[in-house]
Amino acid sequence: MAAAPLLELRRVSVAGRGGVPRLEGVNLVIEPGERVALLGPSGAGKSTLLTVANGLLAPSSGEVLWQGEPPARSRRARRRQQARIGTLWQDLRLIDELSVQQNLNAGRLAAWGWPRALLNLLLPLDTAANAAVLARVDLAAELLGQPVAALSGGQRQRVAIARLLRQDPTLLLADEPLASLDPRLAASLLALLLAEATPPRALLLSLHRPDLLAGFDRVIGLRAGRVVVDAAAASLQGAAGGLLQELYRGEDREMERETDGQSDGAGDGLRDGAPDDPSPTAGARPLWAAPDQ
Amino acid sequence: MTGGGEAPALQGAASGHNGGAGRRILLRPAVPLLVLLPSLVLLPLLGILPFLAHGGGLDLLCQFALAAVTPSLDPLVLRSALTGLATTVGMALLGWAASLVLGLLLGLASSRTLWRSCWGQLWPAGLIRRLLAIPRAIHELLWGLLLLQLVGLQPVVAVVAIAIPFGALVARVVADLLDGLDTGRLDALRLAGAPAPAALLTALGPPLLPGLLSYGGYRLECALRSATLLGVFGLGGLGTDLKLTLQSLEFHELWTGLWLLLAVMLALETGLGRLRRRWLMPRRLGLSRAGGGRAGVGVRAREMVLAMAALLPLSIGVAWALGVDPRALLAWQPLQGVGGSGWIDGGQLLALPWPALIGGTLALTLLAAVLAVGLPPLQLLVSAPWPPARLLVRLSWALARLWPPPLTALLLLLLLQPGVVTAALAMGLHNAGILGRLLAEALADGSPANEQALASGGVGPRLALLYGRYPAIARPYLAYGAYRADVLLRETVVVGMVGATGLGSQLLESLSSFAWDQLLALVAVYALLTLLGEELSDRVRRRLLQGA
Repeated sequence: MAAAPLLELRRVSVAGRGGVPRLEGVNLVIEPGERVALLGPSGAGKSTLLTVANGLLAPSSGEVLWQGEPPARSRRARRRQQARIGTLWQDLRLIDELSVQQNLNAGRLAAWGWPRALLNLLLPLDTAANAAVLARVDLAAELLGQPVAALSGGQRQRVAIARLLRQDPTLLLADEPLASLDPRLAASLLALLLAEATPPRALLLSLHRPDLLAGFDRVIGLRAGRVVVDAAAASLQGAAGGLLQELYRGEDREMERETDGQSDGAGDGLRDGAPDDPSPTAGARPLWAAPDQ
Repeated sequence: MTGGGEAPALQGAASGHNGGAGRRILLRPAVPLLVLLPSLVLLPLLGILPFLAHGGGLDLLCQFALAAVTPSLDPLVLRSALTGLATTVGMALLGWAASLVLGLLLGLASSRTLWRSCWGQLWPAGLIRRLLAIPRAIHELLWGLLLLQLVGLQPVVAVVAIAIPFGALVARVVADLLDGLDTGRLDALRLAGAPAPAALLTALGPPLLPGLLSYGGYRLECALRSATLLGVFGLGGLGTDLKLTLQSLEFHELWTGLWLLLAVMLALETGLGRLRRRWLMPRRLGLSRAGGGRAGVGVRAREMVLAMAALLPLSIGVAWALGVDPRALLAWQPLQGVGGSGWIDGGQLLALPWPALIGGTLALTLLAAVLAVGLPPLQLLVSAPWPPARLLVRLSWALARLWPPPLTALLLLLLLQPGVVTAALAMGLHNAGILGRLLAEALADGSPANEQALASGGVGPRLALLYGRYPAIARPYLAYGAYRADVLLRETVVVGMVGATGLGSQLLESLSSFAWDQLLALVAVYALLTLLGEELSDRVRRRLLQGA
């Protein structure tokens, strides 16, 4: 168990619409204990990479290995593999009509059989375990009986993390969990996720903006479906930060191209320009300067 | 590796968490479970069935099933089936078109908004509304049989039988739609001095049209089902062929008609679905929240108007081809004994076993409703892991929808003894087909996000469906089920012929013995029950939709 990486992608490509691939030749290895940030501008393929990693999307070509093994042919064995992968979705995907307790127990569904799954809809099950995971995300056990729809945005985020903890996966995937949060809340949630990602677990978390990199071991930069940066987080802090600037260079220009049908050669020219192009995304720089130590 | 989550959990238990908070909540099933609860009725039902079976017809039933793959392709049989089908479709179309016109007029007449803005008074609207409840409460089959006695076997009977109750239903929907619209625009136009009719047409016409056409399309499907049903009771068309071939056990010929009917029904359903999407109409009865109906008249206004305009010459052509003559309605036959001295025999009326009749009808309705609501979610859940099985379930729904309940009842009688359970099974299966399609539609429109999220975490397809999809659709589905129960109460008359205890069978008996006084009393009780049921189901529906 110690030897096999939790996740390995080998030359993974995913076809997209209009002949533009969503992922192209992605190679990636994540070892137990690693905390990896997945960076890239919007549309770079971060979400696609995560859905390939959790098995929801089969790649058009290339291989996915979970703990050194390819996805099993038998459905049952494959589900056992997937049960070890937990995803924190950007839209959380909590079941609004159910209570917090029932949502937390939904994290155990892969392990439970029918009787308990049905009983969970009738009775409060595993109250002790649920109260414990709630405590780990700094929520009170009183919330257990509440409907999820009645929670605040921050509480919902935490309940989603608590459900992930109930699933107890070894590979934690998180799809831009901090995107819509204010900086303080984002920092505390990130700290929570990082704290849970101790061996044998690993964390792969996608970020839109490179302003919360403290605490990560490694940074993977994705651009237009390709891995363009894969380096230790520490090495990117100082002078090498230019690599990250590179990642985001021309993002505004690119977004314009996406929305504006009348694209021309000008944007391409800019992107292929000098490497010391001094224009990172407008709003990014002040945020970088304010890490959350 | 697996201990990470559980060890702290045990600590939590040791440190004395607040367990009482959980225990105070007594058994309160969560919404996805509510959807499955009705299917529990299957357990006692499966227990009873062996005692009801008489086993004699098992090989006949097998023959029937096997004949599905070898329908008769004899040109004579085919031609007869096609002629019957054309008649049925024609009757459905005419009845539907007439009900739309009737419903629109009556709906306008019972709209509070209209009365308020044209004449400044509300009470006529309420009065008309209440009066319309009576034709609505009586099933089209009853109208058909009554008219049959009055004017004899004329092609126009089936058309009018469909048009009367459907028209009243459409009227209610039109009035509800009209009164539910925001009247701000109307008031603005009125204040600006526009005359009332012009202001109404301008302000309320466009927003009304999509809902009306969407509902109208749905009614056309219902009309086709009803026309087939009326045929089973001898009013002509494919239904008559189906019943005759079933009774003479010509299963191969029976399936020829069935497959043809299925093809027409599916073509109609998909065609209407396409049009609905093309014209950006809201889904019927608001079961799904997705799909914006906000586009008003939509971009295809011209197409809609053309389609409506084409309906009139089409109807006239079909009426001419079928020999439908409205004048036939005026030539009443004298009813035997009516008007003579003592045609109302009070003593005999009271001697009817009313409590048993009403009880039987209610039991039949309840059992059928529970079956119809409970079966589809269970079938979907069971077949979830296997796509071919899912397809099979869909096909069985389609067959159940078009197969008139009395024919199912006849088929079941090959295997089971007559009674409430047999009749309820026949009705329940038919309506499960209707509800199943609705459920599938709602699922197709809903967001797959939660189901995918669960599946990606290793949850099996059945549990992912139960936890990921059913919570969101549970309440609207059950609310529609409540509406369906009210339809079922009206429909119980249809399976009366199987000899189920209930008002329906007594009614058919009185009809065949020309006991007009009994017939009138039974129809009145039926109408009263239906009105009560409508009120009740409305309340249940409102509670289900609000109590989120």
